[in-house]
Amino acid sequence: MGRFWRLAGVILLALVGLLALAQEEVDPFEEAQKQKQQLLELSGGILPTDLIAAQGEELFKAKRGPKNASLEACDFGRGPGRLEGVVGRLPRYFFDTRKVEDLDSRIRSCMINLQGLRPDQIRRNEVVAIAFYIASLSNGQPMTVRPLMPQEKRLYELGEKLFYLRAGPRDMGCASCHVTYVGRRAGVLPYSDILGDKRVASHWPAFRYSNDQAWTMADRIRACYSNLSMPAPDFYSEPIIALTLFMNAKAYGGKMDLPGFIR
Amino acid sequence: MRRFYLPALLLLLLGLAQGQTGTTYITPELQRLIQAGGQNYASVLLRQDPAQALCSTHRNRLPAEVLGPFIEEQRKNIKYPADGKLMGDWKQGEAIFNTLARGNCFSCHVGSPLNIGGNVGPSLEKYGQRGTSEAVQRYTYEVIYNTWAYFPCTVMYRFGVGGLLKPEEIAHVVAYLLDPNSDFNTKPALKR
Ligand code: HEC
Ligand code: HEC
Repeated sequence: MGRFWRLAGVILLALVGLLALAQEEVDPFEEAQKQKQQLLELSGGILPTDLIAAQGEELFKAKRGPKNASLEACDFGRGPGRLEGVVGRLPRYFFDTRKVEDLDSRIRSCMINLQGLRPDQIRRNEVVAIAFYIASLSNGQPMTVRPLMPQEKRLYELGEKLFYLRAGPRDMGCASCHVTYVGRRAGVLPYSDILGDKRVASHWPAFRYSNDQAWTMADRIRACYSNLSMPAPDFYSEPIIALTLFMNAKAYGGKMDLPGFIR
Repeated sequence: MRRFYLPALLLLLLGLAQGQTGTTYITPELQRLIQAGGQNYASVLLRQDPAQALCSTHRNRLPAEVLGPFIEEQRKNIKYPADGKLMGDWKQGEAIFNTLARGNCFSCHVGSPLNIGGNVGPSLEKYGQRGTSEAVQRYTYEVIYNTWAYFPCTVMYRFGVGGLLKPEEIAHVVAYLLDPNSDFNTKPALKR
């Protein structure tokens, strides 16, 4: 762990340096790519995402919980222990839990079922770190989410409906920003083209360098609700999985850029 | 479960009473999905008004036959300040326009000399050049009170309808935009 902290220090300094650099208007994907290169040079080849993934790997392989088991036997859709490319195949239906699960909720299910942890013992930051580890093994793989099972089809349709739903005192709805006003800015970042640009769904989980935050898609969705003063859906809940399934299926064929590195 | 059933039913009846069709966007299945997101989440999402339901159903682009009645309905729910004055105190309007948790107008519109404006909405730079005629005051007030009366299903919040700003507060914002002496019209707008 000592090495981690030293590396973390180097990265923190590099990040502070980055923010001071010019911030002219460019394509956010290009800008993030440039910042990533600069950070790699400043930190000697290590990214914050590497640290988080390394932490996640430790957690993933450690024997923990009442059953003193690791998560290595967890099946993310390609069979127990097979992790390559799984992020681009989630959410999907799992026969053991009889639920459609995304990356976050699948990790949680395995912590409950394999390690014997109670839901209230599952720490969010651990799930995120494990998600980053698994994501690091899906980098460069294609997004291949396609709702075929009846349960998946049903949830996809509900996710689509939820995406267009307007509600709340600010008439909030995902589509009014991410479809109608794509590319427009209400702050530093333009509204991303979720249904038209496959790169968007393909870079989650992601590290947001301007906030020093490690986020999964669930955190991103919850933040979009909160930004409009709406209560966010609970972590691991079905609305999050439905929206993710809808967005990931729309990004079918995209190339995973994981873990994402974004502003 | 019961708790959410009643408001949904009431809204349904309300929609029917208003003679609007297609106001039930939230099917029982979608309702169950939303409830799975937790009580706080469900309590806000399931309280969908008939206009929100129409925008959801038509994915924010209303077909011609729905448009007319929709706009009429939206015009009807605009309320005005008790004293009838549509222009209040521009200084108070300035605070509302430039505060994220109040109007948050600057996030979407260029024009404020205090904050860099966004480009989600059209630029309002030197908006006061439109003059202070009764028609201009009324339009500006109504657009802010209920945006959907002019731009159905757009992203700008219906500040009056949603209870985000009181009629008097909207009048303050109108003054900020229209008063020729307001900083909005005398000082240069900040742009990125
Ligand atoms: C009022 C505008 C608005 C609404 C409504 C909104 N978002 Fe966003 N969304 C944003 C902005 C702005 C960003 C980029 C901000 C950032 O990353 O800091 C963003 C980012 C995202 C991203 C990441 C984009 C990327 O390039 O990686 C996803 C995914 C997303 N939103 C999904 C949703 C979903 C799902 C909903 C509805 C539940 C929603 N958004 C509602 C404004 C909105
Ligand atoms: C989330 C974005 C957003 C916010 C916040 C917002 N607006 Fe708007 N506004 C828009 C958009 C978009 C339009 C154009 C509607 C369309 O074309 O669909 C608009 C239109 C307008 C118009 C009519 C413009 C014209 O040229 O006639 C006025 C006036 C206006 N807004 C004022 C305000 C004020 C005042 C506030 C704050 C109290 C505000 N807006 C907050 C997005 C926003």
